[in-house]
Amino acid sequence: MSGLRIQNLSRQLGNRLLLDGLELTVAPGECLALLGPSGCGKTTTLRLVAGLDQPSSGRILLGGEDITGQPAGQRQVAMVFQSYALYPHLSVADNLALGLRVRGVPAQEREQRIATVLELLQLGNLRSRRPAQLSGGQRQRVALARALLRQPRVMLLDEPMSNLDAQLREELRPELRRLLCGAEPPVLYVTHDQQEALGLADRIAVLKDGRLQQLGLPRQLYEDPANLFVASFLGRPAINLLPAEGGRLLGLRPEHLRPTAAEGLPARLQRREWWGHQQLLLLDTPRGELRLLLPSGSEPGDSFQLDWPRACELWFEARSGERLRGFGSENTRAL
Amino acid sequence: MRALVLLWSLGPLFLQLFSSLVTPETLVDPGKIAGGGHWTLANYRALLGASPSFGRYLLNSAVVGSGTTALTLLLAVPCAYGLQRQRGAMRWSVMAALLGAALFPTVLLFLALLGLARRFDLGNDLLALSLPYAGLSLPLAVLLLRTAIADLPPELEEAAQLEGLDFGERVRHVLLPLLSPALASTAILVFLFSWNEYPIALTWISRADRLTLPTAISRIAGSSVYAVPYGAFAAATVLGSLPLLLLVLLFQRSIVSGLTQGAIKG
Repeated sequence: MSGLRIQNLSRQLGNRLLLDGLELTVAPGECLALLGPSGCGKTTTLRLVAGLDQPSSGRILLGGEDITGQPAGQRQVAMVFQSYALYPHLSVADNLALGLRVRGVPAQEREQRIATVLELLQLGNLRSRRPAQLSGGQRQRVALARALLRQPRVMLLDEPMSNLDAQLREELRPELRRLLCGAEPPVLYVTHDQQEALGLADRIAVLKDGRLQQLGLPRQLYEDPANLFVASFLGRPAINLLPAEGGRLLGLRPEHLRPTAAEGLPARLQRREWWGHQQLLLLDTPRGELRLLLPSGSEPGDSFQLDWPRACELWFEARSGERLRGFGSENTRAL
Repeated sequence: MRALVLLWSLGPLFLQLFSSLVTPETLVDPGKIAGGGHWTLANYRALLGASPSFGRYLLNSAVVGSGTTALTLLLAVPCAYGLQRQRGAMRWSVMAALLGAALFPTVLLFLALLGLARRFDLGNDLLALSLPYAGLSLPLAVLLLRTAIADLPPELEEAAQLEGLDFGERVRHVLLPLLSPALASTAILVFLFSWNEYPIALTWISRADRLTLPTAISRIAGSSVYAVPYGAFAAATVLGSLPLLLLVLLFQRSIVSGLTQGAIKG
């Protein structure tokens, strides 16, 4: 099988396990996001695939070929660094040309490939600028251009948008998707921003403490999380967790709660944040403070009853964080 | 305030320049300048016309300085690179040792060095004089360059590595161009040290045509033991500082860009 395959990959540093037995495959044309808090092992994974770091055990296969021991320069991988890592002393065009020149690509072909990629990223008029003379978004595009020019067998991106402001990130997301996803090389995209992962990736792998927590479609992860960590890492505002009998936790997403005329959980409005298209209500209930997301127009009043669809309940074991499946509706009243 | 600082640091230089251009009588009584006709180039003519000519000493010092600078940089760059990028347990002790060596007063070494020169027959050899000079310059050069290398983000090299550049190509296309401002300022410091060094040159060199500037200047004598040749001294120091001035002006651009290098990152 072609594409990228990671088998039982571990990286130990001193007595700390940075990565613990990671198993992943990324199909050709697929964009897989590695999502997790800092220190979860996502960047470690990327550096191992790039060959900038060596695994303690496990294998990395690219197009069926074992590249675990290969030096970075021979792997034909391209990487976009968080800091972009543009050569500050070279112009945009020379930044792109350096790799091709050193590998002995003839001048004419070089020029043509650079022109094509500059065109694709709308950088043509910036070709003689130095990185210092570019805005953050432009630098990011140059870094992307350098990676695309490489015609890599796998594309690695390490938080490529974390240095940009929120508006620019939103603008660039569809562009990034257009450029990266669906093309032949598999894409491994590291981010700690769930919005980016949900909006950009075909599948998401959630990591914590060097371990894979869950791997699946964005929707799967959100609606059917494997454990407490995945459930609370995904979703803003965060999921409500209500302590229940038997050391269990009931997870309820803020958008699934709704005020009801019938009998339910009594709630009193404590504070309100108005977000334009939505509003977040912070409620006092006998089970603790709850977050409720409502359309911005609705006015539920100061105290009301709360209800939710039984199908949206997510049950967890409080101690281990394990998801309790097939446990639900009839037990809700035990709350 | 600025004028005061300028006066303080440039005043002696101008005094020296003035002394070199007037007759001894005028030097004793500057009031005579008003009368006119006391400016002279005699001091310079005497220096350049002497045998060996003063130009010879300039050349000697330039040879020692270039040799020292080249040797120092050649050794200091790989040493600084290794020190910064290899995170071994010895790293901090090596740096502390280097700092100690850089701060050590070199004057205390000249007797031991003289012994070495005798033992290995290195006396009266200009390039051999570069050996102790480079040795003494190395600690400071390594420390300066290590700081410069620490300021380079390692991702730059990793990006080049992923693009298929081997180590030599990375050094040539990425590392050295980015270090050039630091290399220029380090080179100037090393050259300056070698240009001004006195005790070692005094003990290693005895042949008149091999003297470096500081030792040559110290040998300038007046017509009698009671006459101090102020004018000749002054002319010699002026001639001796001109090449340095040129060098600094030449490299000024890269030194200044070294100061602002942090601005291009990010």
